[in-house]
Amino acid sequence: MTLALLDARQWQQAVDLRSGRPSEAVSPLGGMVGDILARHPFPGDRDGGSNAWVTDTALDFVARYDPGFAFLAYAQQYYSSRYGALAPETRRKYVENAFAEAARFARESGMTTVLVGTGDLVPATTPIDLEDLDGLAVASNWCAHYAGLYDLSDRDRETLARHPHLERIVPRQEILDLFGGGPEDGGRLPDYMAVACRGGFFKGSSLRRLVMVPEPSAVIPVSQNLGPATSILDIRPRLLELLEAGNRVALALLEGVGCAEFQPPYTTCANGKDWFRYEPGDAQYLALSTGRHPIFEHNGGYRYYLDDGEHKPYPFSGYFKELPAGTIGEAYPGRSIAVGNRSMFMHVCTGCDVTCECFARNLYNQGLMSVIFRDDKMVR
Amino acid sequence: MECDYCERRCRLGPDSFGYCKMYRQEGGRIVERFPDRWCAYGVSRVETIPFYHAWPGARCLVVGTSGCNFNCRYCANAEVVKVDPAGLADIMLDIAPEAMVAKARKHGCHAIVFAVNEPTVSLPTLARVAEAAKAAGIAMGCLTNGYGTPRSTALLGRIFSFVNVSLKGLASEFCVDYLSVPEAGPILRNIAALARVCHVEVTTPVIEGVNDQEMEAMADFLAGVRRDIPWHVFRLLPEYRMQQEHYPSIEALSAKVEAVKNRLDYVYFHNFIGSRWVNTHCPSCGAVAISRHSLGCGGDKLDTFFAAGGRCPSCNGPIALYGEHVAWNAKEATA
Ligand code: SF4
Repeated sequence: MTLALLDARQWQQAVDLRSGRPSEAVSPLGGMVGDILARHPFPGDRDGGSNAWVTDTALDFVARYDPGFAFLAYAQQYYSSRYGALAPETRRKYVENAFAEAARFARESGMTTVLVGTGDLVPATTPIDLEDLDGLAVASNWCAHYAGLYDLSDRDRETLARHPHLERIVPRQEILDLFGGGPEDGGRLPDYMAVACRGGFFKGSSLRRLVMVPEPSAVIPVSQNLGPATSILDIRPRLLELLEAGNRVALALLEGVGCAEFQPPYTTCANGKDWFRYEPGDAQYLALSTGRHPIFEHNGGYRYYLDDGEHKPYPFSGYFKELPAGTIGEAYPGRSIAVGNRSMFMHVCTGCDVTCECFARNLYNQGLMSVIFRDDKMVR
Repeated sequence: MECDYCERRCRLGPDSFGYCKMYRQEGGRIVERFPDRWCAYGVSRVETIPFYHAWPGARCLVVGTSGCNFNCRYCANAEVVKVDPAGLADIMLDIAPEAMVAKARKHGCHAIVFAVNEPTVSLPTLARVAEAAKAAGIAMGCLTNGYGTPRSTALLGRIFSFVNVSLKGLASEFCVDYLSVPEAGPILRNIAALARVCHVEVTTPVIEGVNDQEMEAMADFLAGVRRDIPWHVFRLLPEYRMQQEHYPSIEALSAKVEAVKNRLDYVYFHNFIGSRWVNTHCPSCGAVAISRHSLGCGGDKLDTFFAAGGRCPSCNGPIALYGEHVAWNAKEATA
């Protein structure tokens, strides 16, 4: 059983991650993890102290668990820019703060810290309305750039082909061909994928007004201490090489930061394939963590709610009905941690022994969640 | 001209739109400023909204417009509700009633639930959706603050077959300070009126030291209406103007919930992750009739439904339910 510890501030509940049911099970790491959560209440996604929370919490884990690998995510600047009309100076300060926090982690932990910017943000200038289709358009709150299209009529296809704010409409087969999939891989792909223009976003999926959206960037910056990487898929093998060479290594993702704002010396790597570029999100995390493109399973247009029935396992893991295999944490035999202010992805995408993330949904700050995947490495 | 959609009873003119900014007067009639305009929609579980005793397990199309007739200190949707609706024009969706119902069908939804802002401020639009939904066999539900006039509450009761009313507090000082309305009298009146015509659940966000001492009185009031009204006691999530305030203590509030839970058949305590107070127990024998996961305000979720036919799996006693248990993908085949 995998134990998850939920911390709703001054109150904790352990649950079985798979069934979601309260659990009395005891883990040798449970006390340590519970204490760390209690010491570091989450200030909120857009709070000025949110990125410091990542560093403080991660350092607490480093002090008590002594990991060889740490997967970190810094996202305050991303959330604040996405929903707030920030002055350029404020945005600059937020981005600087993210770099400063990652640098503080590197300094105080002594770990070789590889920084990756997950891509530039651009102003959300163009709301795109797909409500008038005979078929169905599926867009989600956290994926501004792609929508899934189903059951299109001839009239729909004509309308979409002439749409001034769609960059392209891609049939399922073209996605399969691009990523080398067979017919059996298409089950979770939409009939067509609508790709928004730069600055475009699909209307109606976000309750809050979007101010900035992911570009999404063709290339993303990676700090030079990783060594050469030409594709996002190269990051994982380079990290594993560093780890195998005996280095203590951290990967720090700076959300919503692209080449334009990246501070340390960097190289660039392709953030996708051909026309497809990752937005900051689950698919990008999985590409980084597994070294494979996960588009067949995780794409912006899947009707994710189909899987959300009452017997779906992992109720605390959003729309994931299984935890992805082949993650970097799984591949690394030493101790590993993941800490981030990006909900859900830390425990779903990293495979680290112990993960800690804010439990925020749509920016509502409900506390923290930590998952103990491995508690057998402590006794070595 | 006086608006009689809610008890604020604003004076409306061609260019004066009332407190909610959603109505105006035109040719001696009150009309909506933004008919058929929606801020967002999404697919959600009925338990998330929350309804625990209506169509358990159902997939719902959750919809909202904009504007509100309250000004709650802790509003969770302030970014859409507290802004001038005219300023949202570019991102609002124009969806005619029939198209909204078609959308619900395409998404395989069993019901349409109005749950972002206050339905009283968009009643004519909702009445048109209800007409189309009725023809399509789709149920309609809503969340409301219950501050409508008797006339609009009667209309609300005809539009929606299941309603969750927010009873936020009883004392006038609380209503003035926290909600910006003078008193809770109309809300109590409307809970009783709605309970006569449709399925009613009630939600109370509790703030330690502010309205928690009213929990007994609220439970007694609800029991006087119907003992089987499901009551959702919420741990307040401090948002909007309360964002910097403390989260209420779960331990302290759970003790208060325990103290009042025998006054009603179904009392729940949630709105925080991992709550242990989200299962339905049989009022006769205490057996678990429906188990759920609490994902906090991110949405609760049905775990297992044991109450087939509205009966307790252990003693066969009645479990109050409106509608049947609905399998999540039940409507997919006909969508
Ligand atoms: S519905 Fe709006 S305009 Fe009418 S009385 Fe209430 S607040 Fe005023």
